[in-house]
Amino acid sequence: MAAEFEARDFHARGVQIRNLRVSYQTPQGDIPAVNGVNLSIAPGKITGIIGESGSGKSTLAMALMNTVPRPGRIISGSVVVDGIGDMLTIDKESRRRAHGRHLGFVFQASQNSLNPLRRIGAQVLDLGRSHNVKDLRALIKRAKELLGKMGLNADRVLLSYQHELSGGMRQRVGIMFALVLDARVVILDEPTTALDMLSQASVLQIVRQIHQERHLTTVLISHDMGVVADLADNVVVMYGGELAEQGSTEEVLAHPLHPYTQGLIKAIPRISGPLDQAVALPGLPPDSAALMAHGCLFAGRCPKRLPVCGESRPTYESVGQGRYVACFRVAGHD
Amino acid sequence: MIEIKNLTKVFPARKGLLGHDAIKAVANVCFSIPEAGSVSFIGESGSGKTTIGRILAGLETPSSGDIWIQGVNVTKMPQAERRRFLRQVQLIQQDPYQALNPARTIEQALGDPLKVIARERGQDSAWIQTRMHDVLHRVGIEPGSVLNKYPHMLSGGQRQRIVIARALTVDPKVLVADEAVSMIDVSLRLGVLKLLKDLREQFGISLLFITHDVASARYVGQNGQLFVIYKGMVIESGPTDQIIDQPYHPYTQALLSAVPVLKGLENPGPDRFIPLRGDDQELIPDTVCLYQPRCPFAQTKCREERPALQGTEHAHACHFPVVRRVVATVRANEG
Repeated sequence: MAAEFEARDFHARGVQIRNLRVSYQTPQGDIPAVNGVNLSIAPGKITGIIGESGSGKSTLAMALMNTVPRPGRIISGSVVVDGIGDMLTIDKESRRRAHGRHLGFVFQASQNSLNPLRRIGAQVLDLGRSHNVKDLRALIKRAKELLGKMGLNADRVLLSYQHELSGGMRQRVGIMFALVLDARVVILDEPTTALDMLSQASVLQIVRQIHQERHLTTVLISHDMGVVADLADNVVVMYGGELAEQGSTEEVLAHPLHPYTQGLIKAIPRISGPLDQAVALPGLPPDSAALMAHGCLFAGRCPKRLPVCGESRPTYESVGQGRYVACFRVAGHD
Repeated sequence: MIEIKNLTKVFPARKGLLGHDAIKAVANVCFSIPEAGSVSFIGESGSGKTTIGRILAGLETPSSGDIWIQGVNVTKMPQAERRRFLRQVQLIQQDPYQALNPARTIEQALGDPLKVIARERGQDSAWIQTRMHDVLHRVGIEPGSVLNKYPHMLSGGQRQRIVIARALTVDPKVLVADEAVSMIDVSLRLGVLKLLKDLREQFGISLLFITHDVASARYVGQNGQLFVIYKGMVIESGPTDQIIDQPYHPYTQALLSAVPVLKGLENPGPDRFIPLRGDDQELIPDTVCLYQPRCPFAQTKCREERPALQGTEHAHACHFPVVRRVVATVRANEG
């Protein structure tokens, strides 16, 4: 039924994350991967979540869908998606239906999420059937429309197996799968990591376009400050499973408050301006011992460390107009 | 001191049901790397830039062309001799995890090549120890903290430093870094780039830097040469800064446009354009411009005649070269 698709609501949906804790069980004990995260994802905006490996950004993305794989476990908290409810408490069947239909997800390395033995078109039909889509013909039509928009030859792609597609093409196919059921919230985990610059730029352009056309709420997870700075409206910086700073992209880049954010921005090799502006960030990301310690997670690498930073962890405080930061150096802490 | 002339590499056709035509991965590429100099190759995946690095490191043999290293034509040498000679060129690849044996400690990984050299030079195990500490210090690692560790116990940045340290054990004249930082965490990436830059400036090791990221090529390749490669051919070359400031070829402009703009710190270049990536599979006849099917500025002449590389210091292969300002500019507010 075509009407099924036409009855789109154009209210973008927000996501409220409260006190989210996820930990991984290891022989050395439980390691917190996401540690008490509170975050409101603004409806209709692109929110970029940036962090390095081990920062918990991908775990956070999986927790949004309530699909954290073992040995990971969601300890506490809530993830309320407008119009669906708390992803962490709704029953299994509603959750399954929410995936794809309301929440679209593009995995990191989307080549690994496609079935190598079935043609792309057949996989679109599988997805439709598992979500009880009645008009499969219309579904294929929408898949074609999306692929066409992304500069692909839709007929050819639907008849292909995943190994016949290049990395950039697969990434676009992944985006098509996330959107074909008309999801309102789309989570992209490292959508451009394995791509070269030109493919990256065109995938980002596609995400930007589709986001606008469909009034989506987009969450972009990346380790690359450049990608986030180019695409996102808001930036959230994660470090060691906690939020370090957030705000509008322009604000965070022009006036970063957390020393980690400051260091990350300085460490980007730039295409213009003086070269010696780029300074490497010293030290290493926190290990499990640092995660368990009492002090600030960044204290070991921080050039602006105070005595208090080694003793207790700064709380994540609002510093006005959508800006939050967890740092003793910033006013609002005492 | 390294001179490459008319380098060409053709991968032979595969016959049979799934057969395809011979693939010209590299076509008539010429460049030279001066002592302690730097040359960067940029281009997208499949452009042939990796093949150039592999040929130089002796992992592929060129189909034709000459490689001169310090006045010696390497391509004419017998294989065994060539292999030894090409030790002066060390390749650093993308994935430091694959480059290190997971079952061997760092001490063993560095000890293996050092033992071979020690035997050749008649040195003892004390010499090996000194060398090992020396190369680790050069890459900014405290030997005591890593020697007994296995690769998985180190961060990506440290692993890549170990790979570089291992390359340094043989006293190379040239490092070929092929996407050497693309798998390393961002906060550690610049550190490795700086290391490559320092090795060049402090120890006179030349650098062939292969990447798709123009900004990192700019960082390590200060005062160096930049080669833009498309489908195996150089389509623009010259001093790095000059190409970034005044790119002539639309493909170079596309690559530069693709560099993300840092909102809040930079303004996009006024002529920036984001090209949709076209189909790579099509075969392009020798008589037309290689880039013409994807070029937003292509004209009739581009479909009739292939442009040759023209110019000396800053060369380009385009019939209608126009400088476009595609690179982001730094906002005034940045202190």
